Amino acid sequence: MFKAAHSDVAPKRKKGPGALATAYLVIYNVVMTAGWLVIAVGLVRAYLARGSYHGLYYSIEKPLKFFQTGAILEVMSRVFLTWAVTHSVREVQSEDSVLLFVTAWTVTEIIRYSFYTFSLLNHLPFLIKWARYTFFFVLYPMGVTGELLTIYAALPYVQKTGLYSVTLPNKYNFSFDYYTFLILIMISYIPLFPQLYFHMIRQRKKVLGHVEDYSKVE
Amino acid sequence: MWHMSVEILDAKTKDKLCFLDKVRTYFFSSYPQWYPARQSIRLDPKGKSLKDEDVLQHLPVGTTATFYFRDLGAQISWVTVFLTEYTGPLVIYLMFYFRVPFIYAPKYDFTTSKHWVVHLACMCHSFHYVKRLLETLFVHRFSHGTMPLRNIFKNCTYYWGFAAWMAYYINHPLYTPPIYGEQQIRLALIVFLFCQIGNFSIHVALRNLRPPGSKTRKIPYPTKNPFTWIFLLVSCPNYTYELGSWLGFTLMTQCLPVAFFTLVGFIQMTVWAKGKHRSYLKEFRDYPPLRSPILPFVL
Repeated sequence: MFKAAHSDVAPKRKKGPGALATAYLVIYNVVMTAGWLVIAVGLVRAYLARGSYHGLYYSIEKPLKFFQTGAILEVMSRVFLTWAVTHSVREVQSEDSVLLFVTAWTVTEIIRYSFYTFSLLNHLPFLIKWARYTFFFVLYPMGVTGELLTIYAALPYVQKTGLYSVTLPNKYNFSFDYYTFLILIMISYIPLFPQLYFHMIRQRKKVLGHVEDYSKVE
Repeated sequence: MWHMSVEILDAKTKDKLCFLDKVRTYFFSSYPQWYPARQSIRLDPKGKSLKDEDVLQHLPVGTTATFYFRDLGAQISWVTVFLTEYTGPLVIYLMFYFRVPFIYAPKYDFTTSKHWVVHLACMCHSFHYVKRLLETLFVHRFSHGTMPLRNIFKNCTYYWGFAAWMAYYINHPLYTPPIYGEQQIRLALIVFLFCQIGNFSIHVALRNLRPPGSKTRKIPYPTKNPFTWIFLLVSCPNYTYELGSWLGFTLMTQCLPVAFFTLVGFIQMTVWAKGKHRSYLKEFRDYPPLRSPILPFVL
């Protein structure tokens, strides 16, 4: 009287995104990959043309701004770095630190978006997966260093010009010191970056841990 | 005498923990690190926790019952949390009001503002939190005795942090009084007081729904007190009045941080109101359909 007819129950299928959502995501990821490739190519060409790293920012400024702002879903720190620091403080744009984080982001993003694209099409080459979970070992510290150095470089100019700052008295009884805010942002990297880094390491173990099983599945 | 044997297993590992006749107290005497407040006992590992009032014999079990235990972690009483989180803003605001050293420039230490609205704001803010403390001690009847310990750190950061932020600007030597002066302040004060009385009336009405020591839930209805007539339109008018109070305070001080605090509080209270509204609907078939969670007809 107990026996449930388990054979009659259909196996639970994992519900993925619908066809329309998948299509959108594929296009989105392809565009992002292309965009970051454009930036990468732009960087290389500019370097070859000029023979130095000087002024590389300007060569990729437009597409960088477009692809950063277009990706509203992107991590806030990226948009912040581009607009609120690098764009807003002209003096910072010729700094080497900018090149550092732009390069780090570019490589990261090309890998990341191809990873998503392939995943969505259910055809993920192991190399991409491996790259995604391995390159970050170098790219994360590189990007963070570039970002921190850039913010640090912007500090004296922010203090001198009072950029984005609001002082008392005013009718809203509010104040904001962008200089202090930037310092707090820099400090926040201390707890945040290790967390992100170790999260990626844990993810890596989970995803790449069973390398032998994976090659059988592929 | 009706006898049964009870087996309690760990919810995660399914290891047998012990055999018991009476549940929580005996469990505690065998496992002194798990006082009753942090024991979650269920019939199903992923199910809802059984209440202290549940009678063993009335549960859907046979002569051998298997319960699942989960440790809820260190607990702290609601009363303790409320008292701590409300005393902070009271004290902190006063420190800014009296311009205690190291906040503003030394020449302003222990001076007072020349704007009377600043004195009024201090009285209102202090009154608000004294009211909350007294309500915690004498009015509220809590459904749950305790909450997780980590909540006190989260809650105190929120209340104390915002209190300091608001108080800093309102009591600042460079504070700018409201643009529309006397009129604005008077209107704001009326709104504030009206909502304080309203909020208190709702708290009393809710208390009276529940006999002392009980945890029963009933549908609240308007009483003779006109401030409770809002129950016709809203499930959680205590939150509605609370929002009103803070809107009044924002208007009174014309201070952006206060507006921001009001907004954040409103968002949180809306979430709670929607949850409460949903549980009312679930529990009572005859729940008045006209009511909205927090804002009449709107939200």
